[in-house]
Amino acid sequence: MTTASVEAPVVVRAQGVSKRFVIRKEKSLKERIVNFGRSNLHKEDFWALRDVTLDIEAGTTIGLVGANGSGKSTLLKVIGGIIQANEGTLERRGRMAALLELGAGFHPDLTGRENVFLNAAILGLSQKQTEQYFDSIVDFSEIRDFIDTQVKFYSSGMYVRLAFAIAVHVDPDILLVDEVLAVGDEPFQRKCMAKIEEFQREGRTIIFVSHSAEQIQSLCDRVVVLSHGKVVYDGPTDEGIDALRASFEGR
Amino acid sequence: MSVAQERAQRLAALPFERIGRPVSGGGGGFIAGMKEIAAHRELLGLLVRRELKQRYKDSALGFLWSLIRPLTMLLIYYVAIGQFLGAARGIPQFAIFVFAGLTLWGLYSEIITAGTTSIVSNAGLIKKVYLPREIFPLASVGSALFNFGVQMIVLVGATVVLGQFPLSWNLLYVPAATLIILIYGLALAILLSALNVYLRDVQYLVEVALLIFFWASPIVYSWSFVLEAAERSDLPWLGDVYIASPISTAILAFQKGIWAAGSQDVVMGTNEQTGEPIIAAAQPWPADLDLRLLLMGLIGILLLAIAQRVFSRLQGNFAQEI
Ligand SMILES: Nc1ncnc2c1ncn2[C@@H]1O[C@H](COP(=O)(O)OP(=O)(O)O)[C@@H](O)[C@H]1O
Ligand SMILES: [Mg+2]
Repeated sequence: MTTASVEAPVVVRAQGVSKRFVIRKEKSLKERIVNFGRSNLHKEDFWALRDVTLDIEAGTTIGLVGANGSGKSTLLKVIGGIIQANEGTLERRGRMAALLELGAGFHPDLTGRENVFLNAAILGLSQKQTEQYFDSIVDFSEIRDFIDTQVKFYSSGMYVRLAFAIAVHVDPDILLVDEVLAVGDEPFQRKCMAKIEEFQREGRTIIFVSHSAEQIQSLCDRVVVLSHGKVVYDGPTDEGIDALRASFEGR
Repeated sequence: MSVAQERAQRLAALPFERIGRPVSGGGGGFIAGMKEIAAHRELLGLLVRRELKQRYKDSALGFLWSLIRPLTMLLIYYVAIGQFLGAARGIPQFAIFVFAGLTLWGLYSEIITAGTTSIVSNAGLIKKVYLPREIFPLASVGSALFNFGVQMIVLVGATVVLGQFPLSWNLLYVPAATLIILIYGLALAILLSALNVYLRDVQYLVEVALLIFFWASPIVYSWSFVLEAAERSDLPWLGDVYIASPISTAILAFQKGIWAAGSQDVVMGTNEQTGEPIIAAAQPWPADLDLRLLLMGLIGILLLAIAQRVFSRLQGNFAQEI
């Protein structure tokens, strides 16, 4: 598969990353005042990530797997800088693009075209560069007829098509993909897989969350299994899938 | 060398970037925050345009509404306060006076109202991508400035048409006052936008507070009315308290800059019995206005720095709290 040569530089380095969520049950002033002092009763906190330590080398494709709620999306968000870890450090280098759950950060009231420019700007492209790539983005997404429609009228499949098309056109060194591809239709999924394989040949790093053992098996060089926020397995793909099954049984 | 190897080599040469701002104290802070914003200025421009577009997107008259609203307010205050309540009798060029106050106040209140909800209303972006979140309250400032600019053109146009263009050094008060409003508006927008994520009551509280401050500022009545009231009610400190508000000071300075009639003795008409002219004396502008502005500017910058620090601490949890 990829030529993860000996001297491949580390691009993502997580050290002892822990993330705690505090779930407050009230949001308004009245409730806060009424519950003042007893506020701990109305708080629940739990660790979505516990002491996660990972080094990810350039050019690898990592499959991040685990049961629902095991912390996969949370880990991707911490890597993406969207949420902050409570403990530990996260370091990264290179340009990053992320496809997190549904919607790549689109604004529902804007058209597809406007969102392309907005997103590309967020991911670090200038207006000029985006104009250059625009046609190619739209072609890849195959939704040219809807590009001037507000994205709130898009189906979830169309959403992902556009989001994926943007993410792969901003020349990322690191690509985070969270389960989103599952909503695309089959031809589009195949197209995405082909694109991901192309990315692998180009030495880009891909962190990939999927529930499809088949996809994981065919794409990933390495699998990380999470369970209750902890890394319970980190290693080659085949054993990783066995470890995932074991983690389902053991919970 | 293959593409992959080239990439690996380039990446190996890059320094590591620490992701997520340190939650407590230390490094960077205000300056680092500003640098991050500067690196995203193209995006900021895009967000401002988006905000303007979104506001009037499905309306036929579009951005004309940004003029219709203040002009309607002008008309209402001109008729109700100026004529019915008779404020215009003591205030020469009442229309210019009111529109000046409304224009600057409009900037302030728009920055704060739009700024306060800016984080919550951009939840879609904040939950999915990382960008310096200060950019959202800043974009509110940008779109408020655009509307302010449009109103300024009308205001200056009116002074020219009415032969009241304030050709004097006092004109410098206009940018100074605008700057004060921008500093305080931005500081509050940054602070309140972060608090509003945790406590949605903030946005309603802001509406009420703005209403109070509107009437507590010399917008539809003049500063001289406040001084007279203070004298009448034997509360000489009232004027000092009133003028302690940076908004009042900024609005007064703005009026001093653009409302030339306020700095002259103006003949308002003739007394019907005696035939003597009725004269509105020049406004009693507060003493040391320049010093006050300077001082308030400095305090405002301090406040802005504090607001940014608070924001910076709270923003780490935005994505999960919205
Ligand atoms: N914003 C949030 N506030 C509170 N709890 C959250 C939040 N986001 C995720 N969680 C919790 O963290 C745990 C891990 O979630 P997640 O990372 O989304 O799991 P998954 O592995 O299915 O992607 C879940 O129990 C979820 O309820
Ligand atoms: Mg998930």
